[in-house]
Amino acid sequence: MAERMLHVFRNTPLGRETLLQSLHFCKTLSVALHIYIPVSRQFLMYFEHDMIQIDLDASYLISTDNAESHARALAEPFGIKPYFIQPKNYTAAQLPDIPIHFDYMCCPRGIIDLSAKIGLGYIGPKVRRIIKSSIFPILMTSGVYKAWHGITVFYGGSSNAETALRWGVHLSEKSGRPLDLFTYADIRNADRPDARLQASGLWDRVRPLLRTWHKIDQGGFKESLYAVDHDALLVVGAYGHGLLKDFVYGSKMEVIQRWMPNNMLLIGPHCVSGN
Amino acid sequence: MESNAFLKATRAKWAVVRSDDRLLLIALAGFVGAFSGLAAVALNRGLHFMGEVFQDVHHHWWGFLLPAAGASLAAVILSIVLKERAGHGVPEVIYAVSRHGGLLRMRSSFSRLLASCLTIGTGGSAGPEAPVVISGAALGSNIARFFSLKERQRIILVGCGAAGAISSIFNAPITGLVFTVEVILGEWRASNIIPIAIAAVAGTEVSRALQGNQIAFEHQQFVIHWTDTVASLGIVVFATAASLILSYLLRSMHQVAGRTRWPRWLRPAIGGAAVGLIGIFLPLVLGEGYQSIQEMIRGTFTQGLALAALVLAAKIAATSLTLGWGGAGGIFAPSLMIGSLVGVLYYRLLTGFIPAGALTNEGCFALLGMAGMVSGILQAPLTAIFLVVEITGGYDVILPLILVSALTSTSCYYIESGSYYLRDLIEQGQYLRPGTDARVLSDMTVAELVDSGDKPVPGDMLLSDFVRILEHSRRYLFPVEDRTTGDYLGIVFVDRIRPYLFDTHMHAVIMLEQVMDDSVPVVRLDDELVDVLYRMESDGLSALPVVEDGRFVGMLSKATLLDHYRKELIVQTGV
Repeated sequence: MAERMLHVFRNTPLGRETLLQSLHFCKTLSVALHIYIPVSRQFLMYFEHDMIQIDLDASYLISTDNAESHARALAEPFGIKPYFIQPKNYTAAQLPDIPIHFDYMCCPRGIIDLSAKIGLGYIGPKVRRIIKSSIFPILMTSGVYKAWHGITVFYGGSSNAETALRWGVHLSEKSGRPLDLFTYADIRNADRPDARLQASGLWDRVRPLLRTWHKIDQGGFKESLYAVDHDALLVVGAYGHGLLKDFVYGSKMEVIQRWMPNNMLLIGPHCVSGN
Repeated sequence: MESNAFLKATRAKWAVVRSDDRLLLIALAGFVGAFSGLAAVALNRGLHFMGEVFQDVHHHWWGFLLPAAGASLAAVILSIVLKERAGHGVPEVIYAVSRHGGLLRMRSSFSRLLASCLTIGTGGSAGPEAPVVISGAALGSNIARFFSLKERQRIILVGCGAAGAISSIFNAPITGLVFTVEVILGEWRASNIIPIAIAAVAGTEVSRALQGNQIAFEHQQFVIHWTDTVASLGIVVFATAASLILSYLLRSMHQVAGRTRWPRWLRPAIGGAAVGLIGIFLPLVLGEGYQSIQEMIRGTFTQGLALAALVLAAKIAATSLTLGWGGAGGIFAPSLMIGSLVGVLYYRLLTGFIPAGALTNEGCFALLGMAGMVSGILQAPLTAIFLVVEITGGYDVILPLILVSALTSTSCYYIESGSYYLRDLIEQGQYLRPGTDARVLSDMTVAELVDSGDKPVPGDMLLSDFVRILEHSRRYLFPVEDRTTGDYLGIVFVDRIRPYLFDTHMHAVIMLEQVMDDSVPVVRLDDELVDVLYRMESDGLSALPVVEDGRFVGMLSKATLLDHYRKELIVQTGV
């Protein structure tokens, strides 16, 4: 079955950049693009154990009459025929339920927040909830369209990182783009990621795709991020913690998304393993 | 050491509770019921407070602005601050139970409480039961989510929340239980009833502990004769008519409000201002109207026949304006008042023709009118019977009460097959009745059942090549796709092309796209399985191709569908 991506289209210059990112992703990975043009400020997504109400800012409802033609025009140069989602069910009037049977979803960094916050590095609470509940990865795009030519997986050896690596391998195999690994570990645990990778049985799939494995055990984590290619799609495992848990436990993912302008594919805790 | 032993013992006990679903549900039901009861008490206290604060304001000429301001503020809080949609909430709970395993937003546990407190407290003609139902249900849903309960268990806890809330707000545990099972869940099952009963008890106990064991209306003694039972049959006609008129007006007002271009927060203000204007001349229509109901039950409602009829019409209009224009609140309390007015009017009309001594007093007929109205508007006769019995503390009128409730509910059902709560859901095809195929199948998706093993054959394949595939295959239908684009084209049914298969001269001439059937209906991944089953049966097909984005995904067979249907049925009938 062809993979499918859900994209909530915003008919603005910023929304255009986001859609271009999705189109590039879909083109590179042969993914079908399903676009939802919002008709109201809110919509609901019902996952198996959670429901999320997405509150959009008013810019999502700008010029909805020509949004579809704009989206089609943007998709045409990529050779992609987008499909437009019409909600079938409504929890309340003006509160549609959007289907969730997709393989990817594209989200700007804060789906509820003002566009200005995107440049500041901030993941809105809705995006966190989607990451936490969804069974599909979330493509978080950079502010301006930039094609990516490689895939970098942040791999620290945890089970979440292992799922992210499976997705990274899947994307690399499907797109033919090289795979880089990025591991930041202190010297005492430097061997752990290698051992985990061997134990996971993934090494045989990773080896032919692997271009570089950045193993960094010195300096701060933020400084080490300079090693990551500027034109790579970052694949990062994420727990989808709320602000409070982030405050208590900290979050590598939050640091990465704040410091890296690249496109990111976030793999939440309920994401099924990439093929 | 001691603390370790205590921790171990506690963990062991928790493990026992966690391992037995029924014990866990019972424990959580009490918890949810108590919290829902607290929410109901909070709303009740809030309404009393608002009533005391604003009781003098309505007497001023500008008092009509108060319901407008209250309803508008409620709408602002709901739609702008809390980003909730207006409405009374019960259909939302039913929809969640019917379609999404009882998933409700946490914010729903308090949003409607705030909004209805402002709407009703400032004079809006609505009741508090619907806001507390959604609050309790949302609490139950989120507690179930916190404990990672199964979908079936979550639905029961949603019911527990609703039961606890209704029990608490009316101090009526049986009504809470019956309302939940009859209206919210729609199915009577022992596994549902036990936790819901416990939640109802917990909610009632919380209410009694914090507010005292008070019933809404003072108990009156009625001596019922067979003549009253016979006379009560007439109420059925009046209550049916009043239910239908109220229902029609609610819907009309909602449609009119929906067609306006005014902002959402302004619409309830329009309805509220209109109610305020009515209230200047007829203050009885404002708020819940419990005081007037008490007078009618006591037989001390002094207004004459014409004025009572005017109040009845005004109350129906006020309720339609409040709820139809987007005010937050429920239909129970207005129905009780409208029903009691119907009963009183009917009694007074009747005693114009027959001697008054042949019937008991008009308070009894007020009760019958209340039951008739509630059962008519909700099409839930048991809820109506138990509500009236519990909030009036009287069992004397039970026989005519049963009669009126059952007959009004039936007559309303014949004229309009959906209750006030369900009508919109039914019309939009979003309500799945419990126990129906649609409900069982709604928990499965096409993607779960599709068999992707059948690889499509290209449309330009010659029959000779196809025969070679057929020799090594046990399949009887083959999906066909375009070789270049990969688009799905149709299906080749082996039994339908038999004449060509046995004619070897045709093998090198005919391509599959010439003999395939391209009129077979296709299934999409987001189609409802009940529709798929209907399509299979209407077209006499045992399998249908699943096509998404123009590409063949797999086949969905009736055998697979029915097999999973049976498994799902087992899951849904257990807990």
